Amino acid sequence: MALRVMVVDDALFMRNMLKDIFVRAGYEVVVEAENGEVALGLYQEFKPDLVTMDIVMPKKSGIEALQEIIASDPDACVVMVSALGQDSLVLEAVESGAKDFIVKPFKADNVLGIVRRITGQA
Amino acid sequence: MDMSQYRELFLSETREHINNLNQLVVTLEQEPDNREIIDALFREAHSIKGMAATMGFDRMAQLSHHLEDMLDGFRTTGEVPSPSVDYLLAGIDLLDGLLDDLQSNQPERAIDSFMICASKEELTPIAGILQDTPEEVQTIVAIEEAPEEFQTTVAIEEAPEEFQATVAIEEEVTPLTKAAPESDAFQVLVELAENTPAAAARGILILRELEKSGELMSSNPDMTALRSGTPCHQIQAWLRTSLTKIHIEEALLRISGVAKVRFIDDRRKDENSIRDEGDRTVRVRTGLLDQFVNLTGELITNRYMLNTATSARDWDKLTQTLSQTSRLIDDLHHHVLQARLMPLENITGRLPRIIRDLSRKSDKKVALRLIGAGVGIDRAILEELTDPLVHLVRNAVDHGIEKEGTVTVSARREKDLVLIEVADDGKGMNPEHLRQKAVDRGLMTAPQAVSLCDRDALMLVCQPGFSTAETVTETSGRGVGMDVVKEAVSSLGGTLEIISAPGQGARFQMRLPLSIAIIKILLVSCAGHPLAIPITRVQRTLDLSTSEIHYSGQKRVFHLGEEVVSLYSLTETLGLPEVAAGETTWVVLTEVHGRRVGLQVDHFLGQREAFVKRLGFPLNLLPGLSGATVEGNGHVVFIIDPQPLLEDRQLFSND
Repeated sequence: MALRVMVVDDALFMRNMLKDIFVRAGYEVVVEAENGEVALGLYQEFKPDLVTMDIVMPKKSGIEALQEIIASDPDACVVMVSALGQDSLVLEAVESGAKDFIVKPFKADNVLGIVRRITGQA
Repeated sequence: MDMSQYRELFLSETREHINNLNQLVVTLEQEPDNREIIDALFREAHSIKGMAATMGFDRMAQLSHHLEDMLDGFRTTGEVPSPSVDYLLAGIDLLDGLLDDLQSNQPERAIDSFMICASKEELTPIAGILQDTPEEVQTIVAIEEAPEEFQTTVAIEEAPEEFQATVAIEEEVTPLTKAAPESDAFQVLVELAENTPAAAARGILILRELEKSGELMSSNPDMTALRSGTPCHQIQAWLRTSLTKIHIEEALLRISGVAKVRFIDDRRKDENSIRDEGDRTVRVRTGLLDQFVNLTGELITNRYMLNTATSARDWDKLTQTLSQTSRLIDDLHHHVLQARLMPLENITGRLPRIIRDLSRKSDKKVALRLIGAGVGIDRAILEELTDPLVHLVRNAVDHGIEKEGTVTVSARREKDLVLIEVADDGKGMNPEHLRQKAVDRGLMTAPQAVSLCDRDALMLVCQPGFSTAETVTETSGRGVGMDVVKEAVSSLGGTLEIISAPGQGARFQMRLPLSIAIIKILLVSCAGHPLAIPITRVQRTLDLSTSEIHYSGQKRVFHLGEEVVSLYSLTETLGLPEVAAGETTWVVLTEVHGRRVGLQVDHFLGQREAFVKRLGFPLNLLPGLSGATVEGNGHVVFIIDPQPLLEDRQLFSND
């Protein structure tokens, strides 16, 4: 069965780009969210196999959303998406249970490599 | 400046200089007032000093400087007091030890006790110091003779304080390996790509991955450091795991940002495992390299000619070009082999020193003759040959020579083989004595022993646990280790033969292939399976009519001139289903323990060159299978080594 992905990012451009990458790789993007708060509700509803989570977002930051998701589902597969120069935030996210992180600007191969590694899919 | 790229070259060159030092000192002892030798010694020490200092190996630089100073003193006085020779040799041994440490990535061993011994009373009165502490020199010399594992132990006894550190490390390592014998402890070095963003977070992910693979014992930087945001470019970790390295490497490389994964073995394992061939360097004449370039160029041209001929469907041209290609490949093969050949003197260089020490110790007067040390042999074979050769030489001094004599080590080419012989002019070996001993040791019954020909009786010394030395000396008891020598020679695809008679000395002959990677084979078939026999194992082929085969008890035999030769079926020996025999029996004549044996096969398929692949577990456990090669059609063909296949049946068969 195709991997079910949720993309969380406040920029439509980023969401579309990630979506394209996943769809072309044969994954199913089941839902998108534009901030951490929306993401939390949708995560419980859709239970995706994988979440890509932007870090800096309005309302609820990616790290807060991550921490709440992990609190309810310790095995959740969350990959953080950060910009360059956010090392301390990335560190915090990884410590909070993010499985890996992607740094913008990224390439499709890069993203898929990380996803394959943490989901154990070839 | 990154010096690591010069490391291999440094190691191999320094080893050469140390060999030269050893040889020169032994010569010096015979000609103590030869200025040229003192000058040469000085230059060797000077070279080592320069290289070691450049590489930043301080102790080696310091020690070679010290030896250089001492030699300079001899240059001024023009003579070398004989006790100084022992001191020089001890110093050279220590240099050798330092080099061993560097080679195995260990910290350089302590040299203080050696240096103190000299500085106490400056250079000339060294004689006094040595007389005060004769045991010390004795022990240092013994390093050379002790089996490798004991080197460190001996060294520790010499200088208790300095070596405490080493002892402590060993104790730390031991429980690890003992606690979980099935798991391996090793160091992993993970390098991150340049400018990896959020490197500390990346580091945490890497450590998490390592934690999943086994027990992460320690790391640098560790989790705490990474959590505080310490940036890292590489992570060094000690890991104990039952997973394979390949598995771990794969997992790590899948982490984004990981550029390189390296493993550094546990020291103990390092010492036992065969040195990594991949990192080693070899010096090649530029003329030879030019030949490679020329041949490669011609092969490229040939490829175009092949393309043209194929697209034009010009069969004549194609055949002609193909035969050219095969000639070029033969040439290339020949030259590549040349590059791998090293002269035997690379390992005979140590012998003068060994003979010197042995004759001192055993109070015998032994001379060494080296003949054909320039004969080239594949470096892989040469390396494996060092121990057997040294062992044979020791045996010759210890058991062959009585009070005074000569050990001759000679080498010469015999077609595709190299013959290396260690001969002594001592008391020789008595086959009758050996037969008796075999019976006494319970290795065989009296009738079996009597039935052995003299040649086979001499080979008894290669049986494990067979020793004829009435008192086993410190160095060796004949038979102790001869099984190891034979095993080593055999695993290289060679044979060992002993020629001796009472009062006529003894000759130990090792016949070895020139190269082990590519060999000539005879292809035969048995029960429909193609099989390969190395040409070096084939004396000739025969076709016998059924009437020429006779029975001697259960055994099949045939006559070859005067000789009665036993005949074995390869098909049956390998446990393959027998095919009904026709009018003609095809036989490969081979030799097992110096005795000719016929090996019956179904057909001969031809002769060709084969690239030998080693067999992996568990196929490598089958006696008689020495490797495999791939045929033109892609089929795998096993390479049969008749000797291990037949030797048990041959020597000790009851029928």
